Amino acid sequence: MQKALLFIDRVSTWVGQAFSWLIVVLTFFVSWEVFSRYALDAPHAWAFDAMAMLYGTLFMMAGAYTLSKNGHVRGDVLYGFFRPRTQATIDLTLYIVFFLPGVFALTYAGYFYASESWAINEHSNVTADGPPVYPFKTIIPIAGAFLFAQGIVEIVRCVICLRQGAWPSREQDVEEVDVDKLKKMVHVTDEDIRGAAPLPEGTK
Amino acid sequence: MKMRKELVFGFTIMGLILLPTLIFMPWTNLTNGHLGLMMLALVVVAIMMGFPTAFTLMGMGVFFAWLAYRSVNPQVAVQQVLDLMVQRTYGVMNNESLLAIPLFVFMGYLVERAALIERLFKSLHLALSRVPGSLAVATIVTCAIFATATGIVGAVVTLMGLLAFPAMLRAGYNTQVAAGAITAGGCLGILIPPSVLLIVYGATAGVSVVKLYAGAFFPGIMLAMLYVGYIIILAKIKPSLAPPLSAADRKVDIPEKNRELAQRGRNSLAVLGRAVFGAPPSGVSKRTVVGQFLIALLPALALGSIILYSLDVSTRPDVVVDTSGLKGFDSGDTQAVSGGLSEPPAESTGLAEPPKEGELAAPPAAEPAPQVAAARAEPVAKAAIPKPAPAVDKVAAQRVDIPTWFWIFGGILLAIIAITSFVMTWERLEVFKMLLSSFFPLAVLILAVLGSIVFGFATPSEAAAVGAFGGLLLALGYRYINHRREVGSGPAVAVTMRDMGEILKDSSFLTAKTTAMVCWLFVGSAIFSAAFALLGGQEIIERWVLSLGLTPIQFMVLAQAIIFILGWPLEWTEIIVIFMPIFIPLLAKFNIDPLFFGLLVALNLQTAFLSPPVAMAAFYLKGVSPPHVTLNQIFGGMMPFMGIQIVALILLYMFPGIGMWLPSVLYK
Repeated sequence: MQKALLFIDRVSTWVGQAFSWLIVVLTFFVSWEVFSRYALDAPHAWAFDAMAMLYGTLFMMAGAYTLSKNGHVRGDVLYGFFRPRTQATIDLTLYIVFFLPGVFALTYAGYFYASESWAINEHSNVTADGPPVYPFKTIIPIAGAFLFAQGIVEIVRCVICLRQGAWPSREQDVEEVDVDKLKKMVHVTDEDIRGAAPLPEGTK
Repeated sequence: MKMRKELVFGFTIMGLILLPTLIFMPWTNLTNGHLGLMMLALVVVAIMMGFPTAFTLMGMGVFFAWLAYRSVNPQVAVQQVLDLMVQRTYGVMNNESLLAIPLFVFMGYLVERAALIERLFKSLHLALSRVPGSLAVATIVTCAIFATATGIVGAVVTLMGLLAFPAMLRAGYNTQVAAGAITAGGCLGILIPPSVLLIVYGATAGVSVVKLYAGAFFPGIMLAMLYVGYIIILAKIKPSLAPPLSAADRKVDIPEKNRELAQRGRNSLAVLGRAVFGAPPSGVSKRTVVGQFLIALLPALALGSIILYSLDVSTRPDVVVDTSGLKGFDSGDTQAVSGGLSEPPAESTGLAEPPKEGELAAPPAAEPAPQVAAARAEPVAKAAIPKPAPAVDKVAAQRVDIPTWFWIFGGILLAIIAITSFVMTWERLEVFKMLLSSFFPLAVLILAVLGSIVFGFATPSEAAAVGAFGGLLLALGYRYINHRREVGSGPAVAVTMRDMGEILKDSSFLTAKTTAMVCWLFVGSAIFSAAFALLGGQEIIERWVLSLGLTPIQFMVLAQAIIFILGWPLEWTEIIVIFMPIFIPLLAKFNIDPLFFGLLVALNLQTAFLSPPVAMAAFYLKGVSPPHVTLNQIFGGMMPFMGIQIVALILLYMFPGIGMWLPSVLYK
């Protein structure tokens, strides 16, 4: 059981990180498109559709990854001050009341939405002769399914926390504010910080 | 168990929201609209519980949307909810405004990792060393620029906490002042465009992001200037709080190769000029002299070219002449046409060429015309060319007279050239060189991104992509320069490449997580606000607000006060995506421009970052400050800056022109 959960966690992370690289693709693609339009006079009609698809796929597929790293924004007025067991109780309840029905509905509805699109061989109508959109719509149920699976892992995390009284650890990942990395970047050591006491009176 | 005071505070707010809802609900005849209001109260409470907001909104939205549909037709309610949900989600996936978010975020992470903040701070603090409170002023200026390029509050505050905080404390600055300057400066990136907050507002309120960027530019600058002004005045009145730098700290090292020359006179420009054109220098290579001379001359060259360019622009023949010919053909899409023509080069030059051999089909004019116009250019060119061609030729020959503003503007710039050349001592030349390698590349990147958006050369997402590309180049360049100094130019390439791999990986992963966070929030709120609208909660609020008989001013103050209070328990993303859809429809009733309202909201939400107990900036600073600095000292330091934000809010409210002037000039 534990192993299966850890496996889902890893899969979410791996899939999310794999799709993260789309931002690099998006950056180069749009830069190229701008260059191509202004310098080469060769704009592409499908560029907008392609941009939207890259962006949409990126964020949808990163949803489960973000959840597995506890990256979705929380209202942090009270939560941080609760004891872990209280946190786990709230989370467990709301995962079952809000998360599971919501994400299940999204996945379920997305499945039919996408299959209709496949059935009529739907193409984008932003421009004439637009690219096909059914693969893009298929992202909704896929991303929803990953998110649902990750949600179940989170529920089990809550249960473990309720039993043990402490949150099970998460796998390390790159963080937005990684103080050690930042210290290294600006060449500041702990001694520098500690030595930053104001000068005593009268030494000036 | 004794309750912590934070918990008491939180539960009090919850109670304040829930109790009135429970008391004033007309339980006997509950309508759908009342359900909507109840949903709103419940969602605030649920968000405060701390469950991920996106899924709170999604879950509640689904449930209440189902209630709303069921009250009309229970048989198809489930199907309708599912359809609504998936369509809203797909709408977020296809949203043109939101598309810019990952790109701007990516650009921010790349610029942050370019490792240029150290240089930037050092050069700015030397450049500003004579200003009272120079370290704090340099901190705010560094923050303003760096935060604008990155937009990541946590990283900026942490970095400045590492760099500037110890420096200020060592220089004898008051802890509160130092902490306030860092936290307030670090939050400037939220307001000054290109900021993600404005994109989120634009996407929620249906306001053009381009206009928001143009509008927020001056208020952002104004806020930064108010901070700087406050510090200068404070340092003047009470020098003990922010003592001037000692002579040793102000000293600028002049490199070996320039020392020889420096003995010949104080003014670097004069000495270098003589060395280049006159007597050959002894012991200094010609290459060094010419190089240094060109650098010293750069400000004059840059300003001079601005003068020449503005001369060219101001005397350019009036382009409106050819529009009159075109308008009749394109009344359907005048916006695109006038947009294309307001930048004269491509089309007007094309039109000025008379068609050769009477051949009308596909003239060269059709080729360079931008995308939108291209499809239409053919018929336009056919009809328009024969008639106005001679007229345009004549106009091109006689340029417009030089307007008065040019003389004033040019005179000021010339004076600046004279002053900068006159005061360009050897020390200043060194400082200028440092600025050139840290401040200007970043400033150019920001201005290029902003300029191309505001002047309509690129959509926000395109500019963001190019900006991210520029950020990549910056990171590459600075990492290489730093490594070259450490390990020499040969191995530096390999080290830099390895670095870049790491930077790209980190930045991509972080971008994916931040984008997923913001955009899933949009997915949730799209469903939630649809449910709110279906239940008719909007109408009840509207009826209630209108029944109060408020004047537009009172309404505006009330709205801003509510947002200000919401800024305590909630994050800005939540406030915007949940509450803006409620406020925006009301604006039309009071004749308030949603654009102006957005600027006020953006300025207002700045305070949310500085207001205890949830001010993130304070916690980031505390995390890297020396142990003797307490959280209360940091909070205390933030208070005056919060006051300045409120002053700025009032100023913007009294003089809307601060924000509205630029958009009104650019997009008439």
